[in-house]
Amino acid sequence: MRLLKLGGQAVALAAVAGMLGLLVWRLTHQAHPPKIGGPAPNFTLRRLEGPGTLALASLRGHPVVLNFWASWCVPCKGEAAKLQQEWTQYRKQGVVFLGIDYHDVGSDARTFLSHHGITYPTVQDGSGKIGDRYGITGVPETYFVDRRGRLVGVHVLGPITESKFAQQFHAGLRAALGS
Amino acid sequence: MLRLVAVGVAALVFAGPAAACAHPRTSLTYLEGQIMCPTCHTTLDQSDSDAARQIEAYIQKRIDACATAGQIKSELVANFGAGILAAPPHKGFDLLAWWLPLGGVIGGAGLLALGVWRWSRRREPEPVVALDPETEKRIDELLADLD
Repeated sequence: MRLLKLGGQAVALAAVAGMLGLLVWRLTHQAHPPKIGGPAPNFTLRRLEGPGTLALASLRGHPVVLNFWASWCVPCKGEAAKLQQEWTQYRKQGVVFLGIDYHDVGSDARTFLSHHGITYPTVQDGSGKIGDRYGITGVPETYFVDRRGRLVGVHVLGPITESKFAQQFHAGLRAALGS
Repeated sequence: MLRLVAVGVAALVFAGPAAACAHPRTSLTYLEGQIMCPTCHTTLDQSDSDAARQIEAYIQKRIDACATAGQIKSELVANFGAGILAAPPHKGFDLLAWWLPLGGVIGGAGLLALGVWRWSRRREPEPVVALDPETEKRIDELLADLD
């Protein structure tokens, strides 16, 4: 009987320790936006407009514009044409625009790309894990990555159709280009 | 005659898709409580966000195309990951989420029963208090008076 009592106490202690462990793990693994100046978190995601995957690391050597968007997001609709226009202009300088479709239905996202004539590569982040790693608070949001894979400029927290965000966007592009 | 043809065409247009399903059609109301809105972390029936409305529209489209509830859920999991389901699936590691709480409740009830059983056995019978002859005699007299 004494053994049973000891066993019960050990199980209870283990359960409490497990709960504490979970709490500590949760607190230490909360999503924080990556630091500007630090390395851009790498990812490999399924391509939306075609087969296969695309890894951010494979774009090393190019300045990259990471634009988080979704087809259900109203400001993203307004921003799409502007982004496509910027991409057409900056691709000549080696800049790669990469759309990251966040928490979205794939078929609706493809319709969105086709409707807005988006031609730069886009990947699908359906679960939102990559968006969470980048500390996304909503869409659209944009990051800039320089040729060495570091985040530069500012984290643009809105559509680049608004003048404040447009200024941040162009400053970010210049920082990514290293000029 | 023209009116009859029009009615026939309308019946075909509206009743056609419903009749085409080989199985009972699932409903948006049934699925809404089982699917999460990925941006607001509540079930679809409790959310009015753009993302929730988009998923509802997708579900309705698939229901109209005769997809079963299971098919729709699988498609959503493939698109959004397992986190889109309000409850974990009944297989693999996820089974733990179903059985662990049940095991905890049964184990707790067992421990409680064991504790109660041990407590009830440990109690000793209450000693019988013997009356002193004086008191006993007095009670007998009182009872005799009552008769």
